[in-house]
Amino acid sequence: MKGKYHIIVQNNRLRYEFDIKRNITIIRGDSATGKTTLINMLSSAAALGESSGIDVICERPCRVLSGSDWQYILPNLHEQIIFLDEENHFIKTREFASAIKESDNYYVIITREDLPGLPYAVEEIYGIHTSGKYHDLKRTYNETYQIYSPEEFTLNVQPDTVIVEDSHSGYDFFKSICSDTGIICKSAQGKSNLKDTIRSTANTNTLIIADGAAIGSEMNELYQFMKHSPGLKCYLPESFEWIILKSGLIDGRTVQEILLHPEDYIESKTYFSWERYFTSILTQYTQGTYLSYTKKTLNKSFLHEKSKEAILNVMEGISFHKE
Amino acid sequence: MLNIVFGEIENSIYHPPTYFDNRYEDEWIIDPLTVAMIKDIDKSEVIGAHLIESPVLGPISTKEISGGVKTLILMAFDHTGKIFNASACGDNCAKWIVEIGKRKDLTINLHHVMDFSSVNEFDAIIINTGTVIHNYNEYLAEAFQIKER
Repeated sequence: MKGKYHIIVQNNRLRYEFDIKRNITIIRGDSATGKTTLINMLSSAAALGESSGIDVICERPCRVLSGSDWQYILPNLHEQIIFLDEENHFIKTREFASAIKESDNYYVIITREDLPGLPYAVEEIYGIHTSGKYHDLKRTYNETYQIYSPEEFTLNVQPDTVIVEDSHSGYDFFKSICSDTGIICKSAQGKSNLKDTIRSTANTNTLIIADGAAIGSEMNELYQFMKHSPGLKCYLPESFEWIILKSGLIDGRTVQEILLHPEDYIESKTYFSWERYFTSILTQYTQGTYLSYTKKTLNKSFLHEKSKEAILNVMEGISFHKE
Repeated sequence: MLNIVFGEIENSIYHPPTYFDNRYEDEWIIDPLTVAMIKDIDKSEVIGAHLIESPVLGPISTKEISGGVKTLILMAFDHTGKIFNASACGDNCAKWIVEIGKRKDLTINLHHVMDFSSVNEFDAIIINTGTVIHNYNEYLAEAFQIKER
């Protein structure tokens, strides 16, 4: 499944309105914001249709998955938006991760758990808030908001130390940039090691560079870490490959059109998370050119002055020049 | 005293709101502690053991209060020895968990690092390591060392 879907769920007291555009969306946040009520309304609407008195307006069927027989139900669902409430212990299992990996559905999961087995994006972690009464003053209007705003994390960053989640081409690039300017650069060797790497870093001005497309499971703890360590900042682009595509180094209007609305191009059944798609098209578009890209080792052409400048220009708010 | 266990444990109720719906007692609902928690978290008034007035939903049954408050009520009043999953509670419940922990020996189970920064100073034992913590920073440092979630 691909594309962005506008969803309205309403009765005469409540109206929820939000957009879903990736295979995995997480809803969490404070208690009493209406998460379970949303699930209950969707369940009733799916079971009883129009006679439930609930309107569900969406291009795709919206349904709730729960219970111990989920493994038998899920293979029969296609091109649907599937909601899961926090009562479902199975969402943290390998079996569930494996089942949705090659699925053509979108999933909206209500949970405060990190779910490290699922590669969800920092941008797709939402809370629900009430934005007021709707028209007739009888109905309360609820909408989603992004819990983590990546732009906030990178205002005027001038790091002494850079920690890169990646251990391959992305790390090669930033290691080279940092060695030019005397900044320490470490690889965390994967997102699950980020916290340990941060804790072992004594420097106060530390910048973490990680793939926003799949860092969702680390965000709760990283965010709490950042709130209490003012010198710790995060730069969370979709991926290193996304930065290169965004830089304009790769010719063609198609690339920039894709980046404007990736959801219209990325098939969830093929790409478990968006960074895999960006790697795929970067590899494909540079094949046979002097910028031929492989994820494993960085092509040195990306370290030529013009290339470096184009890539770093994408990273607004970050300076790799030590004072 | 508040005891915190991270990760899977025996005798834990993973989804306390369902347990609450089937096991709550009327007298729990009209206790001043419950009335205050429902007022603070759900912004609702307890009219009686069977009726709550919600500003959004109007008159609702006790089973329609938020999952977070249901979990807090179980933590405060259930005496079966069950350990309740506090990951069913939002961060706006943190101060009430600390408050209940001051009134009784309370053990909670967490499957994520709950944000206790709204409380800042509080005492708790992190059962996984046996460490006593006295504030949010100590809690965070200890929680980050524990792999279980």
